Amino acid sequence: MFSGDVRDNNIGKEVAYLEYEAHTSLASKMIKEILEEAIAKWNLNLAIAQHRSGRVNVGESAVVVITASKHRKEAYQANRHIIDRIKHEVPIWKCEVFADGTKQWGNNCNCSAITGKPDQHIYETAATEK
Amino acid sequence: MKVTVYAVLKDYFEPSFDIKENFSSVEDLKRRLEEIKPSAAPVLNACRFAVNDEFVNLDFKIKEDDNISILPPASGG
Repeated sequence: MFSGDVRDNNIGKEVAYLEYEAHTSLASKMIKEILEEAIAKWNLNLAIAQHRSGRVNVGESAVVVITASKHRKEAYQANRHIIDRIKHEVPIWKCEVFADGTKQWGNNCNCSAITGKPDQHIYETAATEK
Repeated sequence: MKVTVYAVLKDYFEPSFDIKENFSSVEDLKRRLEEIKPSAAPVLNACRFAVNDEFVNLDFKIKEDDNISILPPASGG
C-alpha cells in the first residue's frame, strides 16, 4: 500500500494544511479506468485507490493506492503507475495553505521549480533514474 | 450553456456561470473567456475541457444545453 501523506513544508515554506478540490464524477470515472487497466496489465489480484477532497491536515493521508499480486514486482510497478497517473491526469487539485496565511494552487507538481525539468521530481536523482 | 471552472481558475472567474452567447466550438468559448479576462489566458492555454463528463478537443462543437468544465493541470496526490 502506498499512502501519500501531507508534508509540513514545501519549497521552504511551512504548510498549515492542504485543501483538495476535484471534479468528482470525472475523477471517479478516470480512477476506475486506471485501476482496471492496471489490473489487466499486471494481472493484479486487487487494485484500490482513494483520494481525499476538502481539507487534509499535515501528517494525514491524502491518497492511498493498494495493489496486490502474486509477486511483489508487479504490485510495486502497478502501484507506482497508478499513483503517477492519478497525480498527473485525474482532475484533482491541491491548494497549499501556508502557516503565514498565504495560499497557492499546485502546479502539475512543484518539483520542476527545483529540478528545472518538468518531468523530474525532487526525489528522483540522477542515480535513482538509472 | 453552463460553465464550471476549477482550482486556480476560480481566482479569475466565478466557480460556475451561464453564458447566453452561442459558440460554435470549445475554442470559441475559450477565446471569449480570454477576452473577458486576458490575465487568465496562460492558465486557459494549459487547461483541458470536458463536456458532460467527457474530455473534448478545442474543435468540439458545443450545444446550447451542454455543461462545460474547464480543468487546469491536475495537481493531486
